[in-house]
Amino acid sequence: MFTRFEEYAANQMLGQPDSPPRSDGRLYFSEEWQRTVFGMALALSKAGHFEWEDFRQRLIHSIAAWERDACDGQTTWDYYDRYTLALVAVLEEYGVLRSGELEQQLND
Amino acid sequence: MSELFAYEDDREKGNAARVRALEALLIKKGVLGSDSVDTVLRHFETVAGPFNGARIVARAWTDPAYKQRLLDDTPKAIAELGFPLGMDGAEGEHMKAVANTADTHNLIICTLCSCYPWPVLGLPPYWYKDPVFRARGVREPRAVLREFGVPIAQEKEVKVWDSSAQIRWFVIPERPRHTEHLDEAALAALVTPEAMMGVALVSAPAAA
Repeated sequence: MFTRFEEYAANQMLGQPDSPPRSDGRLYFSEEWQRTVFGMALALSKAGHFEWEDFRQRLIHSIAAWERDACDGQTTWDYYDRYTLALVAVLEEYGVLRSGELEQQLND
Repeated sequence: MSELFAYEDDREKGNAARVRALEALLIKKGVLGSDSVDTVLRHFETVAGPFNGARIVARAWTDPAYKQRLLDDTPKAIAELGFPLGMDGAEGEHMKAVANTADTHNLIICTLCSCYPWPVLGLPPYWYKDPVFRARGVREPRAVLREFGVPIAQEKEVKVWDSSAQIRWFVIPERPRHTEHLDEAALAALVTPEAMMGVALVSAPAAA
């Protein structure tokens, strides 16, 4: 139905547990890194590095894991925190990143 | 309290650093182009979004003949505005405009939101797909509209349209009063996605 990957990808999420924050019909990012990580996942999947649906399942899982956390240990809700975890997980699963490679980059 | 905020601030900085490192790593590995992120986001920021619908509405407000064409043959009239490829195609081809008038208010609901024409109307708000909103929109549209801050006078008719795969409806709201001095771009800036669903009215800018 949607001829553009960007539209297909966003449309899959609408009304689902992984639906992204939006305001007045537009995607809503409160910080630049949120915009970057959102765009990275789309660009990487569009280029064929992983199936969009596989990323979505990890995102839904990551959101559910946050919801299961006991109140005591729970961090405040941050959609893009969950999104970042899911992106790293799918990249490791598809072998785009080696496990621990991002940590190494962070420490360099 | 201050410790709690300090923690959140750390997490924010941590995520920002993590995303920056991830982007740098993927670019270094040749997996991600240096402008890939901006290219993808440009689609949402300038190609597909509620600014397209707002342009259509503003044109209809300033050009009565265009408005008539929009009501008679919506896809053809949308195509006149020369949107980027796809905005008047895949999704736009089934679109149908309805105009609010002094006698009629239109409300759009959608049973299947996969049919929502967001490249023109913008990404729908979370409540739009809520079964309660959909059910009440049909059963008691006036009550729902009142809750949205849009009370409709008894003598005015309320029409409810259900978007489907066959037809995706959108509302041409009434042009607000005292906007005669505004040009098309200034008018488009007043049009919100909610106004194009019929759950809001368009107001003139405060200074007008």
